[in-house]
This record gives sequence, C-alpha cells and structure tokens, in this order.
Amino acid sequence: MSSETTTGSGTTASVNSTADAVERLHIAGLHAPTGAVLSVRDLNVRFNSENGVVHAVRGVDFDLLPGKTLGIVGESGSGKSVTSLAIMGLLPETAEVTGSVRLKGRELLGLSDKAMCEYRGNELAMVFQDPLSSLTPVYTVGTQIIEALTIHNPTMSKQAKEARAVELLAMVGIPSPKDRLKAFPHEFSGGMRQRVMIAIAIANNPRVLIADEPTTALDVTIQAQVLEVLHTAQEETGAAVVMITHDLGVVAGMADDIMVMYAGKPVETGAVDDIYYNPRMPYTMGLLGAVPRVDISEKSSLVPIDGIPPNLLHTPTGCSFAPRCPLATDACLDGEPALAPVSGGALHHAACIKSAALGGDVDVHDIFAAPPVPESRFDAIPREDRATVLQLKDVRKHFPLTKGALMKRRIGTVKAVDGLSFDVREGECFSIVGESGSGKTTTLLEIMEFHKDQDGEVVIGGISNKQAADTKTKNAMRRELQMVFQDPTGALDPRFTVYEVLAEPLQNAGLDRQAIRKRIMELMRLVGLQPDHVNRFPNQFSGGQRQRIGIARALAVNPKLVVLDEPVSALDVSVQAGVINLLDKLRAELGLSYLLVAHDLSVVRHISNRVAVMYLGKIVEMGEVDRVFDNPRHPYTRALLSAIPVPDPHVERTRERIILKGDLPSPLDAPKGCNFATRCPVFAALPAAKQEKCLTLEPPLEAVAPSSAAQALEPAAPAPDQRFACFFPDGELDEDMLVTHDQAEHHAP
Amino acid sequence: MTNLNAVDPAAVAQDAHLESADVVIAKSTIIFRRFMRNKTAVAGLVIFLALTVFSFVGGFLTTWDKETIDPFNIGMPPSAEHYLGTSQAGIDLYAMTVEGTRISILIGLIVGLVSVLIAAVYGCTMAYFGGKVDKVMLFVLEALIMMPALLVVAVATSGGGAGLKRDLPSWLLLIIVLLVFSWMGTARLIRSLSMSLMQRDFVKAAQYMGVPPRRIVWRHLVPNIGSLLVLDITRGVTGAILAEVAFSFIGIGIKVPDVSLGVLIGGATSQVQTFPWMFWVPLTVMFLLTGSLAMMNDGLRDAFDPSSSSTGKARKARKIRAEKSK
Repeated sequence: MSSETTTGSGTTASVNSTADAVERLHIAGLHAPTGAVLSVRDLNVRFNSENGVVHAVRGVDFDLLPGKTLGIVGESGSGKSVTSLAIMGLLPETAEVTGSVRLKGRELLGLSDKAMCEYRGNELAMVFQDPLSSLTPVYTVGTQIIEALTIHNPTMSKQAKEARAVELLAMVGIPSPKDRLKAFPHEFSGGMRQRVMIAIAIANNPRVLIADEPTTALDVTIQAQVLEVLHTAQEETGAAVVMITHDLGVVAGMADDIMVMYAGKPVETGAVDDIYYNPRMPYTMGLLGAVPRVDISEKSSLVPIDGIPPNLLHTPTGCSFAPRCPLATDACLDGEPALAPVSGGALHHAACIKSAALGGDVDVHDIFAAPPVPESRFDAIPREDRATVLQLKDVRKHFPLTKGALMKRRIGTVKAVDGLSFDVREGECFSIVGESGSGKTTTLLEIMEFHKDQDGEVVIGGISNKQAADTKTKNAMRRELQMVFQDPTGALDPRFTVYEVLAEPLQNAGLDRQAIRKRIMELMRLVGLQPDHVNRFPNQFSGGQRQRIGIARALAVNPKLVVLDEPVSALDVSVQAGVINLLDKLRAELGLSYLLVAHDLSVVRHISNRVAVMYLGKIVEMGEVDRVFDNPRHPYTRALLSAIPVPDPHVERTRERIILKGDLPSPLDAPKGCNFATRCPVFAALPAAKQEKCLTLEPPLEAVAPSSAAQALEPAAPAPDQRFACFFPDGELDEDMLVTHDQAEHHAP
Repeated sequence: MTNLNAVDPAAVAQDAHLESADVVIAKSTIIFRRFMRNKTAVAGLVIFLALTVFSFVGGFLTTWDKETIDPFNIGMPPSAEHYLGTSQAGIDLYAMTVEGTRISILIGLIVGLVSVLIAAVYGCTMAYFGGKVDKVMLFVLEALIMMPALLVVAVATSGGGAGLKRDLPSWLLLIIVLLVFSWMGTARLIRSLSMSLMQRDFVKAAQYMGVPPRRIVWRHLVPNIGSLLVLDITRGVTGAILAEVAFSFIGIGIKVPDVSLGVLIGGATSQVQTFPWMFWVPLTVMFLLTGSLAMMNDGLRDAFDPSSSSTGKARKARKIRAEKSK
C-alpha cells in the first residue's frame, strides 16, 4: 500500500462511514468484523532514526472476536511488539502512528495519553515479556494489584479491593494468596511474577488482553504453567487475547488465528490449522521447517533461511522476502504483493504471488535446499572405542550460606553441583538440560575454571586438574577446550574488529602475524562468513553472524572439545537453524566433541548424541538421546518433555501434559531423599508407605534393565545406554497435574 | 549458508546494504553528528578553541610582557597602548591575562587528562583483580580522599616544599598536587563500571582463552569505558581550572612571578572599586573558559548517551516536506 492511500483511507476511516469500512475490509481481505472487540485497520508506525525514517509497521489489519486468540508470529524486528505498543498507545511521542485502532467501535488512535488511561488496564490490558522488571520492587504485590483496581474503580471499598486482589491471585494459581498479598516482588520467582502480572492485567476484566512474549523469559516447565494460567484467565474473563511470540510452538495450542509478520507487514493470515498444515507463503514454510521437533527422532537437517530481514528504512520495491526466498523470480521484485485469499481455507490469506502453487505436498526441505545430514568419521566407531576428551569424576560445587554481619554463621549449603560424573567421547555431542537453577551453567564454569582446589576431578584431553598446576599445562588445556557463549553480542568486545577478535586466541597461542592472517581467513570461510568482512565491527553483523564469529573464535586454536552455553537461544528461529546446521557440519568435518548446555529440548534432541537431565545439581537421567526422549523413565524428564510446546496444533490440543506444581525449590529446602519429591507427579500419587522411601533415601543413578522382550531375544545383550535415578519410574501420575486441552470443537471448520 | 564455498546471493545482497553505508553508520560518525546538532556545545567548543589560540598567540599582539613595568602608566584604565589597562604596579594586564589563561588551560588540560588516565588504570586494575588487591587499593584510595587536600596544597606550595619549590615552577608543583588529589572519585566510578564489564562474556572469553590479565585490562576494559573517560576529561579540566583559581585566590596556589587567572582575580578583589578592569577582565576569561567546557560537556553527554533523545535529521526534513505540501 502506498503512502497516499494510507493517509487517505486513514482519515476517512476516522469519519466512521460504514460503507467505507466495508470496502476497506474488502481491501484488507480479512473476515467481517461482526462484533469484533478490537479491529485494527491499516496500522502504520514510523520512527525517526539517525539513518532516516524507519517504517516499522506497514499496514496491519486484523479483527479480534470476543474470547478468541490471535497469535502474531514473526522474527525480531518484524514489528510485532511495535504493533502491540501502538494499540496500547505506549509508543514514544516521536513515533508516528497512522491508521485506525477501534476498541468496541471506539477509535483509540489519536487519543491523548490521559484519555488512553481510561482504556489501558481497564478494557485493554497487557502482559509484558520480562516479569523481573515489570513490577515495581519497592511496593508489595498487593499494593500493585490494588493500584490497578483503584485507578479504574475509585468507588470500590478497601475491603472489596483486597478481596478482589486475593481472588485474582488465587485465580492465577498463587498458593496462600492472602499472605502473599503482602509479599514484595523479589520474594517471587520469575514465573510467579508473571502470574502476578497476569493478575494485574485481568484485574478489571479487560475485553482485550495483549501478551507480548509472556513466556520467553521463563523455563519450559514454568512456561507451561503460565500458558495454563493465561488460558484460565481468558476463560474467566472472556477476553480476546493477542498473543505475540516468535515461538510457533507456543501459539499452536492456544491461538485460533495466526498472523505471520515479516518486515512490518502481515504476510500470511488464517486459521491456525491453515497456517500450520497448509502454509502458502515461503516465509511461513521456512519458519515451520526451521524449528526442530522434540517429538520426532528422525535426523534431518533444519531449514535455514539465509540472509537477514530487510532494512525498513527503504520501502521495498518488490516482495520484502524476495532477497531471502529461494523461489524468488523477477516477477517477485515487481511490486509488493498484497494479502490475497488462498484457495482451501476460507479465511486464509497469503502475500505471495506463488501461493497457489505452494499448496499441498511441497516439501520445505526441497524449497530451501536444506543441506544433507553431515556424517562424522566417528559415527562408524562404537562409542566405547573412542577416546575420552572430557571426564568428570564426582565434581561438586557447594556454596556456603552464611548469616550475620560480624560473626559469619554457616546456616546451610547450596549444593549447586552435587557429585557429577560423566564423560564425553571424541566426535560426540553431550548435552545437559534442565531448568534454570539446576546447576547446568555451574557445571560448565567448573570445567572452564579448571584448578587444583576443586572438589572432584576434571580431566580434559588427558590432563587432570589435580596435576596441572603450572601455567604451561593450563595453556595446553586451554587449547583443547574452548567455549561459545550464549549471547553473541556480549561475547564479542564491541571495540574489536572481527580480525582482532579472532586474532586474540591465536596471538595468545604464539603464532606469528603471517600465520594468524592465514588462519583467520580459513576460519571465516569455515563458519560461512565472507573473508573480506574481517575489518568490520561486531555491531555491523546480524545476531546469527555474530554467533558464527563466536564459533570461529572458539575454533581458532583447533580445540578438541567445544563447550556451548545455550548457543542458539538468543537467535531468531530462522537464523538458529543455520547455526545448528553449521555446528552439526563442523562436528562431522573436524571431528569435534561438544558439551552443550541448553534449555531448548528440541535443539538438544536435534543436535546431541547423549543427554543428561539435571535437577538441583544432580543428574536424574542420562543416556542416548533418542532413548531418553522416546522412553523417559524419570518423572522429571517426562514432565520436562511434556511441557515443550510442539508446533503442531493437533498434537498440542489433544496431548496430555504434566504441569508441575510450583517452582524449582531453593536448594536449601531440598529433601533428604529424592530432590524431586516436592514436585514429583508420581510421588504425589504414591501411597504414604512408599513416599517414605522417596523422602529418606537418595535414589542412585542406575541403568535401565533391558526390556524382557529384548532379554528373551538376546540374553547376553549389554544394558542400553540409559540410566536414571528414581525408585518408582512406573508409578501412576497424579491426576491434578495432568492437563489436556480438548478444544477440537472450537476449531471445527 | 549451506555450501560454505559458494557465494551466497542473500549475503551479497546484504553486503550491498552494508557497503552503501546507509545501514551502518560508524559510531564515531553518530557521536560527531549528535555533538554537532547541539548548537550550545558547538559554541562551547568554538569559545574554548578561541581562548586556547588566544593564550598562545595573543602575546605577539602586544609589545609588553608580564614582567616589564611601565612607569608612565601605573594603574591606568584600558587605552590604545595598554589594551586592557595596567595594574597598580604598572604591568600590562593584557599580557598578564594571556599568560594567566595559558597557565590555567595548561593546568586544566594536564590535570584533567592525566588524572583520568590514572583513574582508569587504577580503577580497572582494582576491578579486574578483585579480592585482596581490590581491598588494599580501595584503602589507599579512601585514605587519599580523606586527606585534607587544601592543607597539603598549602604546605607544598608555601613553606614545607621549599626544596621542591627551588626546582620546580609553582604551576608545575600545583599540577602535581592537584593530580594526586583529583583522580579518586573517577577511579571509584570506573571501578564499579569495570566490575559490571567484568561480568560480560567477552572478558570471560578472554580469560578462558588464557589471555594475561594485563592485556585484558588494557585491551578490553579501558576502551569500553571510553565514553565515560571522555566525559570525565572535560569535567576534570573544568574542575582543575576552578581548583587552581580557588587555590590561587586564597594565596596558596600559583606564586608570583608566575601568573594565572586565579592570581589575577585574587590580587584584584581588594581593588574592585579603584581598578575595576583588573578584576572583571580575568573573571570574564575564567567564566568563558569554564562556561565553554560546561557547554561542551552537555553536548558530549548527549552524543555519547545511547538513550539520548537526539533524533535524526529525518524528522525535520519530513516536517518541512509536510509543510510544503500544505
């Protein structure tokens, strides 16, 4: 849509002529707004920057019916959040917003900040991404909920407000809500704070609830809880929800409609099933193919979408996705395609000139030319015959907890890592998974620190921390072991050019200038970057490219083992696929071993050979990745796996999930026996006599016995590579913790 | 980026983007642009530069110098021969002002630059090593903060430092004393900033690569607090100039025959009624000097602050366009 039509229709829409609205709807190509609570038409947002005007949102249209959920999906920079902020009227004064946003027929755009306050927190509420910073630390949670009530209900009595606050906290599942009213935000965990945010948002029974990545900052088990709370909140208030996310899994089970945004523009809209099972826009197809699946063991490369989203300073002359689209032809560059109806789905629209040809059984791996699955030379060698590159023997890290200013009394011990033993062999990827606070990162730090006074033995490439005291041996160790960090932006010094970044480890290894130059050029090619980019600064690269630089730096000294600390969690889905493929390829080509720490189990399943599940500093289950994921024995592993949203609406709607109660307990309160007993769904359903065993005895990590069928077939077969620590792996699960959403009737065509 | 050797069309397209310099503007360019957008700051810079030039070449514009006494013009108001008049002793005020401005700027620049440098190295070292090193260095720092700087200056420049005074001109002595007492606050600020930098992954990455601590401090920490250092330099320069004026005013700073703005102002306070020019001229110069630095500081803060509200020129351009189309 050109800017002329934008401004023209924008003004006429505000005159509120019905005929015009109908015609505009026709142009917008969306379903009729019968009784829509929120209808957005031709929303445009522009920002001024040093480089010129950034057109961040370009013509967003949607209608939201009461009680329905719209999922807005897109990469960072696609304009999702700006759209939500524009609806809430929270954009800074410098932003220029045009178009029309109507809440129950009343125009919101152009209202003063004061006038908007009537709506904000009342009929229009928002849940923000970061629960840690969205509550004021100096007020109690109760005060903040009551504040939201007071503003919009000045006549409400104090008692009534307090009663309502308690009711709200109970609704979002906070235990003993009456006492918790007086608690301060720091006394709550991240998941709990997000629940409080939801409670504040639904305090005044909003008609529209906007959730901007509400679970991105949370652990999977907590994410499942919070999504559940959002679901309840929606049912209780009957509000329409706008769910903004980058994770196609999160919205699959929740949303009724999906809008995929790219470069500030919706590129595909439709009912959730249409989008997931019959995508017609190459970008949507790529996004779906780029996400690894936790429920499928089949080893295939992910679909990488090359390149980066376009710069919104310039109006695209053709399809904005054309530069990254493998199907782009000259016709694609000729004018930006508008959203057009797609055959098949009644409400399905796609902005692609080839959408008609993309239906049915087109395989996304073919379109995007996914690379073949790389094969390592180690794959053929049985694991027992490969050399060990890293071995941990009973490594512990205990932090003393002291109290008192003058006389430090020891009141307890935080067992961050408690007796960890595992080994990593050549050419394999070993992953550690678990919630935050389970001790994954501490384990990595213990390995990286590598000094004599550690409790337990760390052996890296044959060098043990008990013997290596002098700097020389340590440097030899450093050459065996390198690390890739989670946040590619933070891991690269912003004042260094790429050349300097890559030269640092090489200079340290004592190479001369000529050799360094040569090696850097090699490295750049190895990680798929252009060698002539070495003079640029990290901020001139996209996130995925920065992570490639981080990987190149780690590989500079030819290590045997690379420690990867959440290497893709900071990246967008489409970019993530490229980096994962690269890691896979490097492992195969260079015979590297990886020690990967990740919270995203889908990524872990895709890339690893073996996996260890950690809970409160201990490994609760460990083994070959497919065995553990397909046949989890420990209840925690089962809960973890069931909490992961799958980008498949049918599966999401029908599967049973285990929603764990509460958060990770503080290591101080950990029971004497099994750590997991406090949250265990099996434990909750056990008879008291058996519970006693869990509470008093610590379950050892034991190998899974081969199934009786396998034993009958081949009695001498070795035990399968899977060990777990639980007394009652086959126990019944507690009914209360099982949740199934059978929403099929909602989605009947 | 599947085939690593093939040229990737998307990467090339993106390259073109980057190459056109439209997407990525060098940080220095952004800072320069923002600074230039702040008219006050630019004015401050111009005034400061003009004063500096004046202090160096101003002496050539008159035949008088700060020591020659004109016995025929004692305590005369400004005239054609003595541009700014003469003092009670018959010394040309213009020559003295030029000399005083130069000494003041010299003291300001040296103290401002060197103290920030000391603070940066000291603060970063403290933050990097932490633990015992941090404790000891912090103790030294606190001790210096608690030392009464005024007394030390008084002792060093008058009676106590007789030996020093023989070898060094009084302005150099003052610079040294000012240096000793001016870096602590900044060092503490830098320590806390560096401590947060220490948590950043790139420092950890360097440590895990086995880079020696000295290199990490010098190559990773110091450059990353650069913007703060620049701000602190301008602040430090102002502070040093004012300190010099104050010390000289109460008679413990620069000693005659050396001249500084503080000496001139201090000497003329008792004669504001009789020889007003002797008081107002150096005072005006001092105001211009510190004022211009304050103006610059404001613009520098704006330019370096990433959350600055200084928006691009695009907005203005569009406004003009919108007005034209009306």
